[in-house]
Amino acid sequence: MLGNDIVDLDLAKIQSNWRRKNYLDKIFTTEEQLLISSAKRPDEMVWLLWSMKESAYKIYNRKTGIRNFAPKSLNCTIYPNNDQIKGTVSIDNDTYFTKSDIQLQYIHTIAAPIYGKLEKIKVTIYQSPNHPGDYRSTKPGCVSHHGQYLALVY
Amino acid sequence: MNKEEIIEALKTIVEPYSEEVSAIANIDENTDFINDLKINSANLVDIVLDIEEKFNIEIDNDSMAKMLTVKATTEIIAQKLEANAG
Repeated sequence: MLGNDIVDLDLAKIQSNWRRKNYLDKIFTTEEQLLISSAKRPDEMVWLLWSMKESAYKIYNRKTGIRNFAPKSLNCTIYPNNDQIKGTVSIDNDTYFTKSDIQLQYIHTIAAPIYGKLEKIKVTIYQSPNHPGDYRSTKPGCVSHHGQYLALVY
Repeated sequence: MNKEEIIEALKTIVEPYSEEVSAIANIDENTDFINDLKINSANLVDIVLDIEEKFNIEIDNDSMAKMLTVKATTEIIAQKLEANAG
């Protein structure tokens, strides 16, 4: 099982005001809020953590059949190394492994239940208006769509 | 506040976060915020905060976890209002 999540940073800027009172507290653990407040680029950190949670939730949801909105129960840890941002997201007794790609226009995270699987995931990202209409026929393992971007993983 | 009044107030709250005009117009208990109204999950947090402000209640994490449909959300709001009144 695979997870993936893309955040269109231009859209996120106008769609969500994470500086709103109590906003971060509803979504992020104390440790995650500390990562945001100490980050050089807090906007980037907010959406990085968010995409990690969303990509892991997509696996968790399919695996357990549980559908809920409990972002704070997904605990992110980030292990930065060079240009790749790897991390883990744990929920209940499960841990998912993530790898994120931060670009100027978007942040994209892939997730897998086994660390070794991360390197085997194939990613295709389309920017509108170039979204293929028939992408479902290619049987992607997970689909994420936000703003201009459509991200598929196989 | 009865159930219909809560749903009406909820409709006003969720409207700015959805582009699904007809789904908003036909909002009822069975409406799902993500599947029907196509609300971005990051905006669900805004909806929860708007509900807290509008109804002057506090939504704990366990309650928030269930707030994916109008039905569940209406029930939670009614419970919290009742607890406040008691």
